[in-house]
Amino acid sequence: MRILRLEEIENPELKEIYEEIVKRFGDGILRSELIAGNKLHLHVEKGFLRKVSSHIFDELGAFYCTTAGVDERPLGGGFRAYHIFSIDEKNLFIVVSAEASPSLPRLPSIANDVQGANWAEREVRDLLGIEFDGHPDPRRLVLPDDWPEGVYPLRKDFRYDLKEVPRVKKQYPMRRPEAEEYVMPIGPYHPALHEPEYFRLYVRGGRVVDAEYRGFGVFRGVEKVAEGRLTYTQIPFIAERICGICGFTHSSCYCEAIEEASGIEIPERAQYIRTIMLELERIESHLLWVGVACHLLGFDTGFMHCWRIREGVMDLCELISGNRKTYGMNLVGGVRRDITEKGREKALEYLAKMRKELREISEVVSGMSELTARIKDVGILSKADARKLSVVGPTARGSGLKRDVRVDHPYFAYGKVSFKIPVYSEGDVWARLMVRVEELFSSADIIEQALEGIPSGDLMAERIEIPVGVRGLGVTEAPRGENIHFLITGAENKIYRWKVRAPTYNNLPSVPIMLKDESLADAPIIIASIDPCFSCTDRMVIVDEKTGEERVLGAEEILRLARRGEIR
Amino acid sequence: MIKKSIWIYHLNTGGCNGCDIEIIDVLTPFHDAERLGVKLVGSPRHADVILLTGPITRQSMEKAINAITAAPDPKFIVAIGSCACGGGIWYDSYATVGGIEAFYKILRERGVKPPKVIYVPGCPPRPEAILHALAYFKGLASKKIKKRVFVEK
Repeated sequence: MRILRLEEIENPELKEIYEEIVKRFGDGILRSELIAGNKLHLHVEKGFLRKVSSHIFDELGAFYCTTAGVDERPLGGGFRAYHIFSIDEKNLFIVVSAEASPSLPRLPSIANDVQGANWAEREVRDLLGIEFDGHPDPRRLVLPDDWPEGVYPLRKDFRYDLKEVPRVKKQYPMRRPEAEEYVMPIGPYHPALHEPEYFRLYVRGGRVVDAEYRGFGVFRGVEKVAEGRLTYTQIPFIAERICGICGFTHSSCYCEAIEEASGIEIPERAQYIRTIMLELERIESHLLWVGVACHLLGFDTGFMHCWRIREGVMDLCELISGNRKTYGMNLVGGVRRDITEKGREKALEYLAKMRKELREISEVVSGMSELTARIKDVGILSKADARKLSVVGPTARGSGLKRDVRVDHPYFAYGKVSFKIPVYSEGDVWARLMVRVEELFSSADIIEQALEGIPSGDLMAERIEIPVGVRGLGVTEAPRGENIHFLITGAENKIYRWKVRAPTYNNLPSVPIMLKDESLADAPIIIASIDPCFSCTDRMVIVDEKTGEERVLGAEEILRLARRGEIR
Repeated sequence: MIKKSIWIYHLNTGGCNGCDIEIIDVLTPFHDAERLGVKLVGSPRHADVILLTGPITRQSMEKAINAITAAPDPKFIVAIGSCACGGGIWYDSYATVGGIEAFYKILRERGVKPPKVIYVPGCPPRPEAILHALAYFKGLASKKIKKRVFVEK
């Protein structure tokens, strides 16, 4: 392996960036390569990891995406952590990686310089056993509480179907409340929707002073199952089952990564079909969220109307793909189903109807002063904090960051359509609501243009060959924000490593900031405002630390209090 | 099977949200399960029927057992979706128990009597299928398949 020469880079902006990096950290760069023209891989010396990362994050203005840990021992290396950064305005990705020794894997932590890396490094530690020196919070993140220390499932010598891992009795360490502070757990089970997640709020006199999160109850070992059991063409189907709301964006992202890694050009018609399905999914997901938000604010009529409008898009998806959700349309190299003339007509018909109905409901919502008063200036995430944590999607756009993968790193047919990206600078729940409502109209614009401009032709690429040992990086804009799949191809028609980073992963760490100093009654809507794949109409337990007395509020009571905007 | 209104509790044990959203869909006016007297409750202590989704992950298992034992007898479980019915695509993953059968084995080992279960397969099942299961409790619909045991010779 070798160092990339400057002449090999065509992109003038990347050339400039690379020149600067080589000038400053020349000795620390062990290896460098350029993939797909805009993804610069830098393999650096351990000691340079922090310096190079903070140079990219602070001085080049890059956003942090995620960290992927890989067990490269079977390839003749050690353990490697890939830190992925994206420079949005220049459509560039920089992947900085360093190797840890196989016997005692240790790497310096970048989480102090790049706050967003906090969770990702904890995940790598859990799954691969790389210790990050100087990490501010080295607690367990993704593995279950009863998982024994020292068993690392993503190492290659761990069998994916090993069920007999012993259970240990251990509690997840959480901060003890201080005097005058009350603990208010939200979770792990919710009456209305979604997943087993747990928020612990520290409350003082009805105000939230701090919050902690313990989630990953839905950790199913997707990556390991895919590496262990599935072939390339089967993975889109498991990718679609990562999320039942935005599954198509995951399978598209995986296919994008594989297609990029192996240089497969997919037919233009397939690109348009993927674009249309992605936008239909966005409409479905945003309508769902707007409905849930109305429900949390006590406006159940709005909830029911949003879900009524949503039923049309579900029927449309069923007409096109054969299923209401988990469409199963993506394959490496193209799509399995065409959009017929009937599907096209129905889609246009639905979009026109949706626009009209949505306009009505958004006028009602924005005209209700009792509703807007609950969400304006509530749950504020400042632009600086948003940048520090590298939040994505509507959460970022509600805080004044103009980030959208569809424009920053155009994929599929997004380069060929024009649409508006709503950005609000307020950073409150209202801004995030408005971003999503306006995006619904943009999505309708995109679908209409795509249906207009869709060319005829094949659905699958003719030649599909996947080389061994290449890296791919796929990025799509899911309804909740940037979605990243990083992969390394392997032998025997199987993938060597597949790392998935869903948007909520980057957005959730911003919730404690939003909750700070807010009224407890606003907590459900603030948590839901990032659309964290769950709504929070939860039962809560108030524990009086001094007397040890426990008072349980039911969902009804909490909702009633939350709607009244107060809490006893 | 249940004479009075059916109070349901939604228990996600690691599902991907596909089934969970379809459950909510069943409760909204388009499918309107409430006309059958179905009511979603916030606590398992109030529930007659537990709608279980997901392959039962390791992290959620203990909590799921707590929720199931908290529900008063007589109680029923509806296993919604392929994951809950048999583990689905995650049946052999290290991080899941792998479906309701394997979960019931653990319950029996711990001396908890597992409630009767109704299966609603699908990925995700259509809202009509979930509605069918709820109508079955009211005696309005019958089971679609009979139990058959195959023994390997």
